[in-house]
Amino acid sequence: MKRIIFIAILGALLLQGCKTTPGSADAAPAAEAKKAAAPLEMNPEKLMTSSAAGHGNCLACHAVPRRPELVAGNMGPPFIGMKGRFPDIAKLKAAIADQKVFSPDTMMPPFGRNKLLTPEQIDVLAQYIYQY
Amino acid sequence: MKKFTLVLLLAFSLPAFAEPVMTDGYAEKTPEATLKAIQKAFHKKFPEVKGDEFVNGSLNFNSASVESNKYWTARMNDSFDQPEGYDKSEAAGKKLWETPFANGKKFADCFANGGKGAANDYPRVDTTTGKVLTFENALNKCLTDNGEKALDYSDMKTMGALSVHARHLSDGMRINIQVKTDKELAAFNRGKEIFYGRTGSADQACAHCHIQHAGDTARTEELSPAIGQAAHFPVYRLDKATDGLKLVTLHERYKGCQKSTGVEKPIKEGSEASNDLEYFHTYISNGMPLSTGVMRK
Repeated sequence: MKRIIFIAILGALLLQGCKTTPGSADAAPAAEAKKAAAPLEMNPEKLMTSSAAGHGNCLACHAVPRRPELVAGNMGPPFIGMKGRFPDIAKLKAAIADQKVFSPDTMMPPFGRNKLLTPEQIDVLAQYIYQY
Repeated sequence: MKKFTLVLLLAFSLPAFAEPVMTDGYAEKTPEATLKAIQKAFHKKFPEVKGDEFVNGSLNFNSASVESNKYWTARMNDSFDQPEGYDKSEAAGKKLWETPFANGKKFADCFANGGKGAANDYPRVDTTTGKVLTFENALNKCLTDNGEKALDYSDMKTMGALSVHARHLSDGMRINIQVKTDKELAAFNRGKEIFYGRTGSADQACAHCHIQHAGDTARTEELSPAIGQAAHFPVYRLDKATDGLKLVTLHERYKGCQKSTGVEKPIKEGSEASNDLEYFHTYISNGMPLSTGVMRK
């Protein structure tokens, strides 16, 4: 009996997998494939400001008050007082990787979870943003 | 054995939808309460935007956009200076609508009052199949009922142009979408799950930009509120390639939104998913006046 239940759950889970809408899980491999073609961008300024594929495009949502010349959105909080807001830089990195962990309804893309940026890119990006 | 059936039942009843974002309106159970919750959130966030002004979308938040819109609208209305793309599209729509079919009938014969006031109570839900029928489905049904070939929903030069011309005939009429029967409610909820469902590599939902962050700025552009959007499509958008305007239907826009948020296989124009989304999306514009074919950046 236990075995039947186990098989039923397994089967149902597999079916659930097939039903997923075009989403995070499906999109990740493609993003990886795209990045494999072009050399990985490691310039943090570019990662922050550019909307090119494989970049962070932070400015779409976050302004940098010390750099008013950068055209930026206001959907997320501005990059200001970062050291005060994130005494531990690891938390800033974790937020870039997957802000949903801290704020379930956030619209911030999970750059780490969905492999939009590599851990190394998140590392340099976080260090860079930390100056503001 | 009972246990076995229970496990199976439980497993299959798990939601097949994407994970929803719990922003304003999602938790409400009825269509009426959903709309009220969204209206309440918008009223709190931008109390200066009232009633029919929601049809103006992001123009409510940016005076520079208003100026640019005035410039393009003036050119659209000036027969000597019509923007590239706009003139051709309008002419193509008029021609499609007015040219008789092989059997001598016209589109106007398929709708009451020659098509005036035909568009504002679409989409509807088919009473037998439970499927959503859009105004564009009705246009294609008119063609096939009269022995003509249906148009491609993704072709802006034919279906897009025809849609904008046919919807113009209902401009000013107020959107009136009914959600009463079980089938209608099911369709509404299917559309609602898409609207609030996270999708794509950016893990974002329609509701993120157009409810939670409506009126906020994404880089240089303000995000339009979900209420009022369905009332003004198809729209003419800036076309960098020609320095003119290009027509974009609501379904084409859905696809565009999904592409920008990293959805690998966006929902197709005329698909059941797009139709379901349009049904929910149009319901939340109930009471708004139809204002088709306006210019939007």
